[in-house]
Amino acid sequence: MYAEQATKLVLDAKRLASLPHLPPYATTTVRSVTKEVRDIERENSRLLAQFTAASTQSSDGRRFDPSNDPGTAAALLVNHLSMRRNKRCLLAYHRTRTNKLEEMCWNGADVAELQTSTVQVSAAGEPRHATTASSLSAEEELYAHQYSDLLAAYKGQWTDIDLTGSLEPPKDIFIDVRVLKDAGEIQTEYGSITLTKNSQFYVRQGDVERLIQQGYLQRLS
Amino acid sequence: MDDDISDILASVSAPLPSQRKLDLQALTRAWVNERTSPTLLPYPSQLIDRVTDRIKKQIETIEEMTSDMDPKSNFILVVLQTELERFKFLVRSFLRARLAKIDKFPYHYRDLALSDPNILSHLEQQYLQSHQALLASHYHASFLSIFPQGLQKLDDTTGLSMIDRPEEDSAVFCRVLRDAGGVVIQSEGGAGEVELTRGDVWVLRWRAVKDAVVRGDVELL
Repeated sequence: MYAEQATKLVLDAKRLASLPHLPPYATTTVRSVTKEVRDIERENSRLLAQFTAASTQSSDGRRFDPSNDPGTAAALLVNHLSMRRNKRCLLAYHRTRTNKLEEMCWNGADVAELQTSTVQVSAAGEPRHATTASSLSAEEELYAHQYSDLLAAYKGQWTDIDLTGSLEPPKDIFIDVRVLKDAGEIQTEYGSITLTKNSQFYVRQGDVERLIQQGYLQRLS
Repeated sequence: MDDDISDILASVSAPLPSQRKLDLQALTRAWVNERTSPTLLPYPSQLIDRVTDRIKKQIETIEEMTSDMDPKSNFILVVLQTELERFKFLVRSFLRARLAKIDKFPYHYRDLALSDPNILSHLEQQYLQSHQALLASHYHASFLSIFPQGLQKLDDTTGLSMIDRPEEDSAVFCRVLRDAGGVVIQSEGGAGEVELTRGDVWVLRWRAVKDAVVRGDVELL
């Protein structure tokens, strides 16, 4: 049925906007929606072809005139609107997904990191790597890469500010953190600290912000 | 912008505050304005340049002081670093608020920047263009290339316009900093006019006070 598949995409988009992770890319649905568009396009040219053919063959042949042929005109209009609707649905679906990807990039989980971190998880016995990799389409993976490059370039112009830093107004410059995962040694202005699991530190927030975002440290209030 | 504020301050306090204080005030105001206004405000390039210069200097000072290892300066260091973090937060939040708006209405601001080059900074322009180029190529690779030629545009304005615009009629809270004359408001009973006198707090449509905010006569809350 017309536009049914596209509705699915929109519902999907609506659902994933509130999900914490990205569900798999709906390859088949996207494909059937684009196929529908092509079918409609073909039918449109078939509808129009009889008019153009007729008008070239004989001088008094029928030219396409919507008022003489309201049926065809209506069909063309409905077809055209369906194509536009499908386009909107596809755009909405892809845009919602790319928004999600961009959000991930801003949160510091750029695609390369995302994959390496899941590899680590799979090494620990949970093979989640395969599911994470396949939930993005190839195009989306490329997009995420390019976007994180763009973001890095933009951020690079504001080195002192650290654009991806916390958007919470800072209260204390020193905070208590607990180490959830071994994170090795970090350099601070007060010397180096070795972050071993389950230890607790009183450190400068700016120094460990990234590690908190990446889930190595937990902030204690 | 600076002398705009200084004459207000001069009437309140006798000694003229330093440029640094004024900049902090201007930055805070720009930040609040940008976060509450529905549309993008002109980019305050000079203010941001001055502030980032000062942040850079302050980072250097702090580094020098920490390398001295003088225990007496520890307390001052904490104060300086707290201040630095707050400044960084203001600039970061300000820039992020702007980026969020740019990403939400990309084509609108792209067109607007052509007629009013002050609205976006050079970097924001670059970001906007590269981001949209990325998105466009992503859409194309994912589905748009299969569409008929006439439907491939992303900024089509025939029929339903594809260019989203910010809602200029939404209401904002504002405080009048300087007498700004009258603004016309629309109400159920027809058009009326309110007089903006210093110290007043109003809830008005953004469209009505936008110019006054850009001039600095009115601040948002």
